[in-house]
Amino acid sequence: MLAELWADLRYRLRALIRRDTMDRELSEELRFHLDREAEKYERMGVPHDEAMRRARLAFGGVDRAAEASRDARGTHLIETIAQDLRYALRGLRAASGFTLGVAVTLGLGIGANAAMFGITDRLLFRSPSGLRSPSEVHRVYFRWFEDGSQRVERNMPFRVYRDLVRDTKSFASFAAFQTRSIAVGEGERSRERSVTVASASYFDLFDATPALGRFFSRREDEAPRGAPVVVLGYSFWQSEFGGRTDVLGQQLRVGRTLCTIIGVAPERFAGVSDQGTPAAFMPITAFAWASRETDYTKTVTWSWLELVARRKAGVSVPSANADLTTVFRQSWMASTAEEPGNPPVDSARPSAEVGPIQLGRGPQAANEARVVTWVSGVAFIVLLIACANVANLLLSRAVKRRREIALRLALGVSRGRLVRQLLSESLLLALMGGVLGVLLAQWGGASLRALFLPGERATSVVTDGRTLVVAFVATVAAALLTGLAPVLHSLRGDVARSLGSGARDGGTQPIRARTALLVLQAMLSMVLLVGAGLFVRSLQNVRAMRLGYDVGPVLWVLENPRGVQLTQAQGVALERRLLDEAQSIPGVVAATPAASVPFRSNEGRGLYVEGVDEVRKRGRFLLQAGGPDYFTTVGTRLVRGRAFDRRDDANAPRVVVVSEGMAHALWPGVDALGKCMRIGADTAPCAAVIGVAEDMRLRSLTDEREYTYYIPFAQYDLQPAGSLLVRVSGDAAEYADVVRRRLQRAMPGSSYVTVEPFHELVEPTMRSWQFGATMFLAFGGLALGLAGIGLYSVIAYGVAQRRQEIGVRLALGASRGDVVRLVVRGGLRLVITGIALGAVIALASGRWIAELLFRESPSDPLVFVTVIFTLIAVAVTATLLPALAASRVDPSVTLRAD
Amino acid sequence: MADERLELPQGTLDLLILKALSLQPMHGWAISERLQQVSRATLQVPQGSLYPALHRLERRGWIKAQWGASDNNRRAKYYELTRAGRKQLDAEADAWARLTAAVALVLDMS
Repeated sequence: MLAELWADLRYRLRALIRRDTMDRELSEELRFHLDREAEKYERMGVPHDEAMRRARLAFGGVDRAAEASRDARGTHLIETIAQDLRYALRGLRAASGFTLGVAVTLGLGIGANAAMFGITDRLLFRSPSGLRSPSEVHRVYFRWFEDGSQRVERNMPFRVYRDLVRDTKSFASFAAFQTRSIAVGEGERSRERSVTVASASYFDLFDATPALGRFFSRREDEAPRGAPVVVLGYSFWQSEFGGRTDVLGQQLRVGRTLCTIIGVAPERFAGVSDQGTPAAFMPITAFAWASRETDYTKTVTWSWLELVARRKAGVSVPSANADLTTVFRQSWMASTAEEPGNPPVDSARPSAEVGPIQLGRGPQAANEARVVTWVSGVAFIVLLIACANVANLLLSRAVKRRREIALRLALGVSRGRLVRQLLSESLLLALMGGVLGVLLAQWGGASLRALFLPGERATSVVTDGRTLVVAFVATVAAALLTGLAPVLHSLRGDVARSLGSGARDGGTQPIRARTALLVLQAMLSMVLLVGAGLFVRSLQNVRAMRLGYDVGPVLWVLENPRGVQLTQAQGVALERRLLDEAQSIPGVVAATPAASVPFRSNEGRGLYVEGVDEVRKRGRFLLQAGGPDYFTTVGTRLVRGRAFDRRDDANAPRVVVVSEGMAHALWPGVDALGKCMRIGADTAPCAAVIGVAEDMRLRSLTDEREYTYYIPFAQYDLQPAGSLLVRVSGDAAEYADVVRRRLQRAMPGSSYVTVEPFHELVEPTMRSWQFGATMFLAFGGLALGLAGIGLYSVIAYGVAQRRQEIGVRLALGASRGDVVRLVVRGGLRLVITGIALGAVIALASGRWIAELLFRESPSDPLVFVTVIFTLIAVAVTATLLPALAASRVDPSVTLRAD
Repeated sequence: MADERLELPQGTLDLLILKALSLQPMHGWAISERLQQVSRATLQVPQGSLYPALHRLERRGWIKAQWGASDNNRRAKYYELTRAGRKQLDAEADAWARLTAAVALVLDMS
């Protein structure tokens, strides 16, 4: 059966490719038959001519037989399609301006979609490459209640991982991992690199064989010590070791541990991480053993491991979740027994669940992932607008070709064939657009990816099968969408009437279709531009927001001890030296030790305040410890009272500065100055409030219940702080390198400092609004441009159609102004209808987008009014040009024409 | 004068062609002649419909074609049965036999 099909297909293909030869052979074969037949008659004594005639008669129609034989080859359909395409191509080549315009319009629409799909796919749909049976592999998420609200986490202490591995029954395997920045290499050559710390089971999740050597085994990842081994990332191996095979057995320092290289991961192996390929992989046990003085297998406070689990075949998701929750509860109870700080299991109600392997679809999806989804929708709308434009152009072409089409119908071309021909034309146009779109996506996609997927190695659109498929589907859809209107129009035509009427008369039907398309475009543009406006305002708001500190001139200096063991006193002395060194650098204004850094680290402690039952129910209070110059360095303003200074040393009475919001939350309506706060325990000495400062954004930009209090570093018990803040006069980024080099000199042994401008800590938190604003604005602008061009072409076409009528009006005494008003009013009426519809849609869908905005109402009147005026301005411009042309109509010429 | 010749029932032309070719490779004209002779001119094989049928059979892989020299030394296209074609012939001949037998039984009903 299959062989038969294959033979059939081969025959058809050959017939298609060798069509001319086969045709020649067919006529030769038929001639041979006729000759033999004629010879037969001649042998019976019939004269030659008569014999030929009889032969033909006996044969029946030769041409018909030839045609039927050709049909029997089964290539007929393909051949007519090829013919239609050739015909369409000729037509398009004749109208090259039109063709170019349409191809570019569709190219922009398809390109926008292809580029966005590449990103959406990466963030939401594609599972990590090489993952075996991805539908069974999940991330594990944990939930519990704390301070009255539910928390979702995916990072857990080692002991939770261990408990889950030991006690759950629904999973074939668990893997724990974390990707972090760790210093790799020795001395001068050491650099911070992305390193994945992983359990040995991690590699089994993938279909991956090491490019060299082997991955680490379970024996090498046995708690508590593990084995000091490391697997190199492929590109790191290439760049740092020149891809040499004798790296196996060599030593490489990773963080504090001197590791033996045992293997090289396959090329492009990134694991579960979506942050690009790590430089190295090492066992979680070996890493944890070196990182912590305390026993990491027991601690409940170090939540550092992300978990991935493979469900056993036949275990459903709900029963896997139930299993996880049971074990997580037991683990929770065991840890509260040892560490009473955790909320009890009854109020915490801990639960665990499996989630998608893609972070973007999990419960902890970043705003970016959601914005990407919206922007993909926007790209789709842009494509719709582009299609509307093209449909419009094709329609006006169909109107012009009305007579030609009627003629062909009259000559007996079947309607099916006609539809095929019209669709071939729009398919060809869409294909050109598709090719252009993929090229645009390739070119523009690189910058998009840099925006949305920082750290990801750029992948190419042109070679990505999934993106190409989407681009192709978009192309075919565009072809059908744009082809539909002209096809319907052509079929409806009455042959006799079309042939009888002049070229000028297009009938009213297409005008109605075209105005509907215009209203649709105006509506979609309105929706997109409102979206753009809302995101731009959000971005403005978030940029204008006072974070409670200066971002521009501050540098963050992090001390990395890396194996160098210092006593506490040595550490404090080193930090003081660093501080002195920093202050001696020209351009440095002030410096301070800092225990917490915005968006990087924060510290919370139990607070006890007289008259307040449970402080933590009033908000999240974050502790900040800084030197006497702390407020000067970060630029946080004091609202009342005083900042701490050199008088507030270790021996002086405890003092504290609280943020405005905190003062309000703890002592509503009362002056906070002089109040007493106990920090850490209710038996701690009383710290007197000496000042009130601005609120600081330390953890999140949007959490309004997050407050800060400041204590003098001299009175802070966890010295050294481990990091410094340095204020320079001017742009911090320019000083980063100078500061790093000066401070590095003071660092002993292989320890080192990293220096980062505050700007780089803060900027990522604003990314989702930046994406939203950039992309909505780009696509909104594109949509507006397309809609404007569409409007212009329709109005201009209408004016051309109505030249005669306009001529009559002018001849009857209408002023040129009247004509301009007439044309502009017609266009504006459509646009205003579209705007009204768009405004309704934008208002109705506002609540969906509200949570992605920043301090911005989705029905912000400023945005709506601005957008409406913009649209009307564009509409007036687009209609004014053809209107002016109309007013220059010379009645004496037009009335005589046609 | 009434034409005594029988119209071919739909679909039987293929069977006849396959049968004719099962004896030896032949060109189109020879097939048509053979069918006329063997059926003693009772079957009306329209010569024109022979060729579409040949091409269709070739496409389905039941026969294959080759150019060769005819007896009067002209180039002619010779068709021969393939193995699949032989199987097809057996199946169709069998089906035909059963069909005619069944029809005969019904007609013999008294």
